Amino acid sequence: MESELVSASASTLALDDGIENLQARVSSLKKQLRVQTSTLIAAPSTRELLSGAPRAGKLLAQAAAQEAHNQQCLYRACASITTFRVQDPDPNAVDGGAALGLRVEVVSRAKFLRPYYVLLNRPYPNASRHLRVHRHTVPPCIPLAGLAARHLPPPPAPDQGLARFARSLRREIVRYHHRLGVVADLRKAAGLGRKKKRIAEDEGGEEEQEEERQARGLININPADAEAKQLSIEWVDGRTGRLVLGDDGEILKFVAVGDNGRDRDAVRELLGGAARVDEVVERLASSG
Amino acid sequence: MARISIPTSARLPSSLRVDASHPAVAKILGHLSRASLLSVALDWLDEKNLPLAAPYLRRSSDQDGADDDEDDDLNPPARSPAELQRLYSRLQARKGSKRDVMDRIIEGDWREGLSLYQLAMADLQYLHDHPTSQKWSAYRIVPLKTQSADLDQDGAQTAVDKESLTIPRFHPSTFLKALQAQVLPDVKAHYNFDRHKDLPLLLLRIFVLDSPYSTSLGLANGSGQSTAGASFDTSRTIYIAFPDASPHIYISKPQTFGTAGFGVGGGGGGESKSLRNLIFEGIPKALSRPRQRVTLKSTNLSTRNLTEILDRRGAARTNCAGGGWSIYADEKAKDTPLDIVALPTPPLSDRGSDEENSNLPKTQQRPHKKRDLSPASRGEERAVKRAKVVAQARFADTARPDDGKGVERVDIVIEDPFSPSGTHEQSPHGAASGWRPNVRLTFHGPHVFAGVRQLVECGIIDGERMPGWMTGEEGVTVGAVKHGRIRGHKGSGV
Repeated sequence: MESELVSASASTLALDDGIENLQARVSSLKKQLRVQTSTLIAAPSTRELLSGAPRAGKLLAQAAAQEAHNQQCLYRACASITTFRVQDPDPNAVDGGAALGLRVEVVSRAKFLRPYYVLLNRPYPNASRHLRVHRHTVPPCIPLAGLAARHLPPPPAPDQGLARFARSLRREIVRYHHRLGVVADLRKAAGLGRKKKRIAEDEGGEEEQEEERQARGLININPADAEAKQLSIEWVDGRTGRLVLGDDGEILKFVAVGDNGRDRDAVRELLGGAARVDEVVERLASSG
Repeated sequence: MARISIPTSARLPSSLRVDASHPAVAKILGHLSRASLLSVALDWLDEKNLPLAAPYLRRSSDQDGADDDEDDDLNPPARSPAELQRLYSRLQARKGSKRDVMDRIIEGDWREGLSLYQLAMADLQYLHDHPTSQKWSAYRIVPLKTQSADLDQDGAQTAVDKESLTIPRFHPSTFLKALQAQVLPDVKAHYNFDRHKDLPLLLLRIFVLDSPYSTSLGLANGSGQSTAGASFDTSRTIYIAFPDASPHIYISKPQTFGTAGFGVGGGGGGESKSLRNLIFEGIPKALSRPRQRVTLKSTNLSTRNLTEILDRRGAARTNCAGGGWSIYADEKAKDTPLDIVALPTPPLSDRGSDEENSNLPKTQQRPHKKRDLSPASRGEERAVKRAKVVAQARFADTARPDDGKGVERVDIVIEDPFSPSGTHEQSPHGAASGWRPNVRLTFHGPHVFAGVRQLVECGIIDGERMPGWMTGEEGVTVGAVKHGRIRGHKGSGV
């Protein structure tokens, strides 16, 4: 009786496994099918074949959609700021709900991040060409309001500079991501922020890394403000420091404070005459 | 206990003890549930907090002499903090009444009084247990124009610098020092910083005491009188929350408990209001730095829900993209130009919804297709489906009843002229002569906009003709509607 039960449960387990495998296969095949379709349908030779064929309307439409999408992706990948049209669903929206969307692409760590969007509308009845920021997804650490006030002033002002606005906005966003990236690089170079890896490694490796960290004496590097322009740095022996970065990663100020007041040696040791934070990363990486 | 009390302008030290018999102690501890009370007590006994929350222990020297009068002690003192820790852990595992634990704390282990730090911890525990116990208002920190020194004297320093590109920064200890300098010397306050347990917030609890003394004399002053309760009123506790990486601050609104204190408190409500104003005026000054002044600007959002307030005034992308616009802020959606395989399917198109359905188990999508329906009910079903799609278009994925981001009250004033046909949008300029009824709308409920969404989904509200402010996309809880839009916002996201 018992053995029967065991064998039955074993067989159900095997069945479950089989089902799971098949489902995985189905999804991978579906994905492959999608890849093949999208490649084939956009190919010029397919178009030629289709254009002569009867009853190919649906396929042609799909080919056109795919081509449009490919073109959009190409523009997005190359131009980094693209525009699109949006319809505001609010029935009371200004200007019939027409809105202009700006899409700002950001690349960080060799990946395209989710783009930032700024949606503009034209709310001014007397100055129909003047734009205004309607909605946006830019995080508050980017001074969007200030940029909009500078480049997209409301009507009494004669003209607005949408291109200038878009450019400066993108510059701010990219700078912000670069600063974040440099903080991550600094942490990496100082042997910080690899907790997950360290757990995975064996005992010896862990000790080695611990030693490595001790040698440089840094235990923490963190952005201290919203814009990641100030970094707080902590040493093993209780010294703390504050590194102030400029917009483009140049080092403006660096102060370290130990038990006996300001510690200029620590500053010299870490910076070593570096003018930009990238050089500090290189120094840290090469010394370790 | 210090012998001499000198009026100073220093803040109240965290180690200052409040008499255990003080009504405020019982009040603050009485708020907590038994489990929270025990966990707070264990926190006090933690090594880090022990210096500021030392319990009453049996001293080894007076063991022989004092044993006699401790025999009839219901809560005999422990020998070491470790022993107490074990005791409270045991209590945690056991069932019992809250009263016993409270008696043990007040009459036993902390009979010499609880430090202000302990009370702050207990109060914060209450805030964690009851996240909706405080009503928060969000304020934006706005930089002011820097002007030359001589203009400074005239008090002309009020213009908001709209073109400023600086994001206000905040440093906790500097802020506290500056705030302390703003508070008048005859008001004593105790400040306690703490991180919120699971939200990216730094909480500052300000506990205000009307006494010029910074020693326990100030606390003991009126312990016998009825005014003692008033000076410890919860309305004297103000929370300020600083969200990470966001130029906003959230200030809690102290609740004034009823009108019962009319005679006793001597107009305590007005007093606490002025106290709050004092703090409120001090905050922007404390946040300012030389040549970089800021002011606080109300953002018309106040709610009890911290998650919602973080969503609309926090550090993420969702601040100015509410309602249907939130599809642009969705971090989870993959949208990379290198992926040319996935044709973008509009979220509401048939293909999109088909794919969505295929994720569901087969049993859920089959039945309604098989059912044989009369034309009338089929039309009804189509209408329901259409209403759902419209709701999805207007709200996207926001305003779900279970997303935990609900506001509990929205007040709207309609300033549009009355138009019988409902087409006021056609003549926004000729409206001056029209009749303007005084219409005020108040939406009230656990999650106002989820309620609106449900009404749209049921077809009670026509989702296509519904004005945009009903989706909650403006992110305000107080607003005036003109030309069908919330005024002052003009559709502006900045």
